[in-house]
Amino acid sequence: MRRIASLLAALAVSAAPALAQDAAWETEGLTDDAITIGVMGPFSGNAASYSKALIGMMAYYDKINDEGGVHGRKLVAVQEDTACDSAKGLAAAKKLISQDKVFMLQGNSCSGVALALRPTIEESGVPWIVAHAVSDSISDPLAKNIFHGVPTGGANGRAMAAFVLSKPDTKNVAIIEHSNDWAHSYSNPARAYLEEHGVTPSLELTMERGQTDATAQVLKLRQEKPDFIIAALYEAETAIFLRDLKKYGMGDIPVMGTAGTDLENTLKRTGDFDTVKNYYVIHSYVDNLDGPKMAPWGEMIHKYYPDEELSTFSFVSIGSAEALVAALEAAGPDLTRSKLMAALEEVRDFDTGILSDPITWTPEDHQGVKGSAVAGFVDGSPTVLKAWGQSY
Amino acid sequence: MSNMPTPRQQSLRTVLFWAVPAALLFLPLATNAYTQFIVNGMLISVLVTLGFSLVIGNLGQLAFANTAFFGIGAYASAILSAKLGIPWILTVPLAGAFGALGGFLASVAALRGIRSYYLAIITLAFGELMRWAYLHAKPLTGGTDGMPMPRETMFGISLSDDTLKFYIFLAVTVLLVKGTLNLMRSRFGRAVMAVRENEIATASLAIPTARVILATFAWSGLVVGCAGALFARHVGHVFPESFGMLQLIASFAMVLVGGLGSVLGAVLGAVLLTALPEYLRAFPGMEELFFGLIVAAVLVAMPRGLASLLRRLSPVFTERYYREGA
Amino acid sequence: MLMQLTLGGLSQGMIYALVALSLTVVYRSTTVVNFGHGDFVMAGAFLSYVLVVLAGIAFLPAAALAMIAMFALGVLFNRGLIRPVKGGPHIGLALMCIAAGYLLRGIARMVWGREVLPMPPAFDMEPIFIGNLVITGDAVFIIGTVLVLLLVFFGLLALTDLGKMVQAVYQSPRGARLIGLNVERFDDFAWGVGAALGALGGILVAPVSLLHPDLGASFLIKGFAAMTLGGFGSLGGAVLGGVLLGIAEQYAGAYIDSALIEITAYLVIVLVLFIRPQGLFGRKAVVKV
Repeated sequence: MRRIASLLAALAVSAAPALAQDAAWETEGLTDDAITIGVMGPFSGNAASYSKALIGMMAYYDKINDEGGVHGRKLVAVQEDTACDSAKGLAAAKKLISQDKVFMLQGNSCSGVALALRPTIEESGVPWIVAHAVSDSISDPLAKNIFHGVPTGGANGRAMAAFVLSKPDTKNVAIIEHSNDWAHSYSNPARAYLEEHGVTPSLELTMERGQTDATAQVLKLRQEKPDFIIAALYEAETAIFLRDLKKYGMGDIPVMGTAGTDLENTLKRTGDFDTVKNYYVIHSYVDNLDGPKMAPWGEMIHKYYPDEELSTFSFVSIGSAEALVAALEAAGPDLTRSKLMAALEEVRDFDTGILSDPITWTPEDHQGVKGSAVAGFVDGSPTVLKAWGQSY
Repeated sequence: MSNMPTPRQQSLRTVLFWAVPAALLFLPLATNAYTQFIVNGMLISVLVTLGFSLVIGNLGQLAFANTAFFGIGAYASAILSAKLGIPWILTVPLAGAFGALGGFLASVAALRGIRSYYLAIITLAFGELMRWAYLHAKPLTGGTDGMPMPRETMFGISLSDDTLKFYIFLAVTVLLVKGTLNLMRSRFGRAVMAVRENEIATASLAIPTARVILATFAWSGLVVGCAGALFARHVGHVFPESFGMLQLIASFAMVLVGGLGSVLGAVLGAVLLTALPEYLRAFPGMEELFFGLIVAAVLVAMPRGLASLLRRLSPVFTERYYREGA
Repeated sequence: MLMQLTLGGLSQGMIYALVALSLTVVYRSTTVVNFGHGDFVMAGAFLSYVLVVLAGIAFLPAAALAMIAMFALGVLFNRGLIRPVKGGPHIGLALMCIAAGYLLRGIARMVWGREVLPMPPAFDMEPIFIGNLVITGDAVFIIGTVLVLLLVFFGLLALTDLGKMVQAVYQSPRGARLIGLNVERFDDFAWGVGAALGALGGILVAPVSLLHPDLGASFLIKGFAAMTLGGFGSLGGAVLGGVLLGIAEQYAGAYIDSALIEITAYLVIVLVLFIRPQGLFGRKAVVKV
């Protein structure tokens, strides 16, 4: 028995992760002509529509590769499916890190999965740029190797609340949301921002995914008559909610939505301009999705993924991919993981030409994007806004 | 009954039973963090499938509360270690106890005469109500953000280490599989199957059928509850979404492919169907189609699952849990 | 507010009623509860989407075509997958239904998994205002369609020879076989009608919601709750149960907490089975041992 015990102990020690982050570790996943990048995302399962976010990023890799790569190295994406499930995502991360031995990771769309991954990735030391998931706890507290490349839920939620309060005389705010982590990642920071400014939401409602009717919620709103409604709902439920709001004669109350929806699709869904004319959304981009400043990006995606239907998610990860390429350029031809992370921490006020706010990573703060613009209909056409009645 | 193992074959069976875990002790030499993680997941699936198979296979009750027991175990473990600071390893038996309590609740429905499809539907509802409770009991469960497991060490090794987890999971799995095997071979096990075949006739033999049903549900809950505690440590973070319909369907397929009501089958089904999706990684989104096809095919072509194939191969693998051909 | 909630609940409840009725049709003649039925509902919605949006057919003929196709699928499912396992335990049948549902969902996911599809509104009508009450086109359309269908359905059952035969099979399959009815063909028929009616549920919600492969899951549970409430196996009970469930959801959401809408169906199942297992109209659900 004692023999077995000592054998077990020996096995356990031998299999413990090699802590020495030596020279070989520094250049793992790197050759003279390729940098392998693990791209995790929900390529299957009921959140598969979010995987669009990773397509834009990979199209950008392709573009860089066509231009000769970075210091002669091509960016090679190794895709792994998380199915938006924590156990599957963990398997994907472990596969990328310990079997495929990629140089770095970029991606991930589901906040829950990202939270479950954080301890494993932090321990591995492999650089990870979070390209879509928004939960603040992924990158806060600071982990040396984890960088957030999109506005976090906190940044978005505060932007939502700030926009709501920028409308003169907003006192009575109602919140309607799904009871999931995605919705809370917007509504909690928004609630905190409102409270800081002396506004307590007058009504808190939930509407679950898959509900095809919002009568009960809308009738409660009709009694409360809020000045503004914050709606953290997915696309489908947003359309249903707005439709019911108009149905019951409250189409004049402005509604603030999340980055999970956009004006164009919401309009398409409801099929009626009057229904969406007072809908505002978090819009992290410099222009409308079909505006001139976004057009080249759309063309880029279609060049490499001709069948891809563009949505608001399609563009979200491109900004962090640009920042990555800039950091790789700066890190020089003798690339190591440590050099890359050091270069990422040097990124300051990086204008991506696509995100409304710049990316700044410092050694103290890895949440790179601090704010977001808002989009709404002005004179019948979608317009990017800084504050109520104020163009971007 | 010609297919019963001889005494020699029975001792061969004992040797085989212990040979497998003994060989597995050396497995970590051949794995990396990823493959080890998958193997650890298999051990958990073995327990989940075993517990499920007991109720739907051995006892013959259409109860779908399995995922609920799993979630109860995982949340019990997470809450006990994160909120009360109990070392994780001690939460495993405690989670088993909570799982058993869940099993007891489910058996109350069955004992009140809610059977067959009604039992299926009420247990489904039970599972979904539990998931709703995890979502909305935020102070206790962390709501949608879930609960991270606290960092902890055992024997000076971090519990995030997959190799250490493997040995612990293996020990728990062997213990519970052996316990279940012994239980099912005993007088009690025969009573369980008698209830499945004819409850009224069994009752007339002065066997306390109500107690048999209750105990089977509770044991099933215990096994799956322990698995839940392992799962909490396996992923390191407990989310409500892990205990939904998808998990239920996967366990279903595992029970069926392995062989309803067979301990060996539960092990085979769990190992096979945990491994296969990893090979399907290259084809994301095919999993549902694949599970659908495989379940339909097994139902039509091999209703007693893989275990029945092995039984045909050698009587060593015979478990007297089903009349052959039944 | 009460009237408005009732109207909203009625229009939701009509869909639940349809799903519960279609489950009951299959259950009564074959004693199989279709655990994959939610995905039949989903398949109906997607079929109508294909016909309306991709093939450009008008909504009503598209709906009829989709129902015919789903009828055929139901028959095929019975012949190909249910019959081979018919003699086995309940569990095998339940699993087969789940497997079939999974297949349907897998196909939908493979084709449309990465998009959420909008369906053009089917019935555009300016809402009618009666005092505080708002009557929308969707509500009129859904309630109207289902009412007409229910009248036809129960009329056929009560007044025609065919209906008498169906009732005979419901009463006693063995007796029906003895007097020369082809019970196998009735099973096919029941599966076909069940699939088509369930699909209609999907077709009706498609224009008011959005299409995604997981659309069906919630309808299955609502259908079960409606059946349990009305009394398992009672056709009229299924309809009434569905309507009551729809209304109960709205009341619970408005007067207690909107988080309750999601679990009203589960609560109904648990409470009914423990307190009055036979539901409102059904035979006793419990087994005395």
